[in-house]
Amino acid sequence: MSEAVVPPRALWVPFDLGRPLGAIDDSEFQKNVMRTAFGLLDTAVEPTIEDYQIEAPDKGLSDTWSCPLNLTSESSGSLGERLLAEVARLRPWAIETRRQRGRTLFGISGAREDQVDELARQFAAIAETGEVTSEPVTDEISWAFEMPLLLRHIADDLRTFYHEAIAAQPGGNAPDHDALSRWIFSDTVLGETLVLVADGLTKAPDSPMAQLVRGLLIPEGHYRGGSAFPKETKFPIDPAT
Amino acid sequence: MRAEAMPAIGPGEWVTPPQLDQATVAIVSTAGLHRRIDPPFAVGSLDYRIIPGDIQFDDLVLSHISANFDRSAFGQDPNIVFPIDRLRELASAGEIGGVARWHYSFMGAMPDPSQFEETGEEIGRLMAQDGVDVAFLVPI
Repeated sequence: MSEAVVPPRALWVPFDLGRPLGAIDDSEFQKNVMRTAFGLLDTAVEPTIEDYQIEAPDKGLSDTWSCPLNLTSESSGSLGERLLAEVARLRPWAIETRRQRGRTLFGISGAREDQVDELARQFAAIAETGEVTSEPVTDEISWAFEMPLLLRHIADDLRTFYHEAIAAQPGGNAPDHDALSRWIFSDTVLGETLVLVADGLTKAPDSPMAQLVRGLLIPEGHYRGGSAFPKETKFPIDPAT
Repeated sequence: MRAEAMPAIGPGEWVTPPQLDQATVAIVSTAGLHRRIDPPFAVGSLDYRIIPGDIQFDDLVLSHISANFDRSAFGQDPNIVFPIDRLRELASAGEIGGVARWHYSFMGAMPDPSQFEETGEEIGRLMAQDGVDVAFLVPI
């Protein structure tokens, strides 16, 4: 991106996506990244892209991470029952994270924190029925999006609930994106549900938006062994399509 | 997406700001950040959200469309994406001149960044009126 845009001064950092300042809860590390970027104000005399040479201190620590909870025990009942049972097992941890932080990222879909059960119930129903064109009918939640984009944000709210539950468990920093994705798609009913919803989007009537949402639902490499993204996508896409 | 597949844009006019310890700094994020009360970003959004300089992190959420980064790092430490506390600390230490009254957020994941030209120029005018000397762009 920087090569195409040619900003006056750019610092290329070696950190994972989602972590542009590099190290969680490490103010000095973050400020050193910023000092290096700001230093280009003194040294650059033409458009410059400089490499930042220092890796994040937690790089690689997630390689051996695994969730202590054995969620695969939720193996009987319908998809919805199993997903709700899984959510129930994670709930005490998610509540604890919110208590410690005094905040949550949950709720972009329109659901409140106390509506996670209804959110999970509706998402499982979508997975089971393959209905991806009409907003789920519920008296409890006022949806913030229309379908199919709503699916992407329901998925993200549920993932956020899982991530916030993991964050309170004993151990160090939150596991990284790859570790979380491996866990979600290998060991949880949520991962199974996400893949089924993506299947429903695949079978949707010819809709560029549905195919795009499928790609935005599942991280690269976790949809039936490959990418869920359509091979060709052109922006902007009219949400009405 | 590789750079050669993207339409070339820059470079823009070269500007030399004041010395850093005299400069007011604003953050421009492409993480799809916004206050909880604001409308979330849509696919292909070209608009932006304003973020006040006194934002509290319990009011800051993220509706970026990509599934290819997790929100857990931002959830644990919002400064890793939106380093407003770090700017405040640098200002208190005299390393920068000050922190802007307003900051701005777009949603990235845009294959053709030239489409941001109109809104980019708009926030440029807003930052000029806010006395901003340095725009610190933080992609996600």
